[in-house]
Amino acid sequence: MAEPGDIAIGIDLGTSYSCVSILENGQTSVIPNEWGERTHASVVSFLEDGTVLVGNSAKRNIITNADNTVYSAKRLIGRFYFSDEVKKAQAVMPYKIIEGENNSVRIQIRENVYSLPEISALVLKEMKSIVENYLGHEVKKAVVTVPAYFNDNQRQATKDAGRIAGLEVLRILNEPTAAALAYGFGKDITQKIAVYDLGGGTFDISILEIGKDVFEVLSTAGDTYLGGDDFDDRIMTWLAEGFLKQHGIDLRLNKYCLQMLKEASERAKIDVGRDGVAKIHVEGICQDPTGKVMDLDAQLTEAEFNRMVMDLVQRTFKVCDEALQSAKMTAQDLDAVILVGGPTRLPIIRTSVKHYFGKDVMAGIDPDEVVAMGAAIQAHSLMEAKGDGAASGAHYLLDVTPLTLRVGTVGGYTDKIIDKNTPIPIERSKSYTTNRDGQEKVKIRVYQGESNKASDCEMLGEFEFSGFRIGYRGEVRIEVTFEIDTNGIVNVTAADVETGQKTSCTIRLSSGLTEDMIKAATEKNARTTLARGEAAA
Amino acid sequence: MDEAFQIEAQALAQVLDELDYFQVLKIGQNASPPEIKAAYYRESRAYHPDRFSTLPQSELKEMIGRIYKRINEAYVCLREDVKRAKYLADILGPERQKKLRFVEASEQEMKKEKEQEVGATPQGRKFYMAGLADMAAQRFAAAERNFKMALTYEPNNPNFKAKRDEAGKLIKNDMSIR
Repeated sequence: MAEPGDIAIGIDLGTSYSCVSILENGQTSVIPNEWGERTHASVVSFLEDGTVLVGNSAKRNIITNADNTVYSAKRLIGRFYFSDEVKKAQAVMPYKIIEGENNSVRIQIRENVYSLPEISALVLKEMKSIVENYLGHEVKKAVVTVPAYFNDNQRQATKDAGRIAGLEVLRILNEPTAAALAYGFGKDITQKIAVYDLGGGTFDISILEIGKDVFEVLSTAGDTYLGGDDFDDRIMTWLAEGFLKQHGIDLRLNKYCLQMLKEASERAKIDVGRDGVAKIHVEGICQDPTGKVMDLDAQLTEAEFNRMVMDLVQRTFKVCDEALQSAKMTAQDLDAVILVGGPTRLPIIRTSVKHYFGKDVMAGIDPDEVVAMGAAIQAHSLMEAKGDGAASGAHYLLDVTPLTLRVGTVGGYTDKIIDKNTPIPIERSKSYTTNRDGQEKVKIRVYQGESNKASDCEMLGEFEFSGFRIGYRGEVRIEVTFEIDTNGIVNVTAADVETGQKTSCTIRLSSGLTEDMIKAATEKNARTTLARGEAAA
Repeated sequence: MDEAFQIEAQALAQVLDELDYFQVLKIGQNASPPEIKAAYYRESRAYHPDRFSTLPQSELKEMIGRIYKRINEAYVCLREDVKRAKYLADILGPERQKKLRFVEASEQEMKKEKEQEVGATPQGRKFYMAGLADMAAQRFAAAERNFKMALTYEPNNPNFKAKRDEAGKLIKNDMSIR
């Protein structure tokens, strides 16, 4: 039962920036930190004295404390060490990315090793503490958002991050769904809408049908390798190549120069979007062979910028095509288009989106805050629900699973179990028989993805079932049940068909953390002191 | 939670495995797509697990979860015309009891399709795969022989036949170039 003052917060845990919101007296509000900042860089800087700095002041440390400052952790969370994304990150990130057990990814800071959920948990801890400072009491529950296109590993890892931060995660909520909720909440409208969500590191598109109290996701599609960072990269390449041509020095070869270049590129992207032109000036970016300090100077026009990123913008529309097709709709069927994510402030995005959908984008929605606000609304409603007759103001999110769930078969192929865009929660069972006399174990590999080849899908894990009857081959049948819960997280259980006896399951291969690891990490997180930085200049 | 609802949920959970999808959504077998959607929304308002989020884990809560998953399963099937027609034929047929859950049936069909693709017998599969390898290496004559061998094990496999013909054509082309 909810105690007075018991509140659940909504957290948008972004690749570049995070935001936290609560619903109070029927109103959602974004909670600023002590310096009035409403969004906070998802950057964690480990200081010499053992304290940890999180947010915009930590972001300034990317250059000065590069080895010990972690950013864009969301790009790595829930990934295997052998994945391309991790290799790419190792090449450009100044912090040390190492391999942990079971092909997992770890970050090494001085002599300490952190899992990705532990890093994200520090960002969540900061969000939690911002609200606690504001309310003057402890907060224990939260709804945390993820890109709709996140797979099970990434969702599970994000949920673990919440637990490590001392939060009961009431729901892992899809970002576009959260945005749609914030848009339609209390409005009493019936519309078909598209949510175009271009974040720092990921792109999502969701098509929804919203009514007074029901928000039905018809389809979702995405690209977890496409975001505002990629726009920065284009500017970076352009700057670096210009500098190379002019001075014969490749700034990308030095991680320190690379960070200055990255920072300048991000600023240039924002400037060019706002002012139509960006003047780039970085003092003392490097030294020439004689030791002379050199500056970087360049000017980026909007036309030039648009040319650089046009293919990235086009890529988002390929994904939009896919989502519309899955929803059996065309752009004309939509009543409204909502833009979410910082990069959607760029004129190139706004005009291209307008052109693609053939309609103006919704005005009056803050692309940086709307997701956190939707999360706060959902958090509030999950705290209120007591199973009474439909309470006034209650709403229902009917969300879907973004990826097809599959099991591995012989020869490196997979079989479909649950199609993408199937409403969740859902379950499906599949029977297996033993193929050897006296067989004691059945192994099942579970994948998510759109190819029938296992190697093109993301592996979620290998489950081993035992504890069923022992018999001749083909005699023992076990029924394996695959469930996707309301968080989009996959659970696998098995039972002996004849006896109904549940079998025990061991997860043999998974990028996830064990219960013991989470426990230890939670204690470590609780002991960690958050340093207070200073207000932005 | 009100008592009438508790009794309803318990009763529903008990007979869930004997209901067809139309019964799960409480609609007639000739319901229109908007009626199906309206029914789905109505049942979601009643059984969506979010409605019960603050209640402690209990048998009743598990029952509700089971019911709601079945509601989703029913909606996924009935919202698609092709699937719905197939499902309706299934449950009106003699094996109704076995076909109440569409997933099992579609699984069988998918398996059949797949078998047609790569073969239902080990020998057929073996020769078919060998034929594919020959095709990739542009050994069209060898490929045709292997596909013909595959067909001796599965004479009615349409995919094997198509591949045999394809290989045959390529042999001719090959000859004409030489």
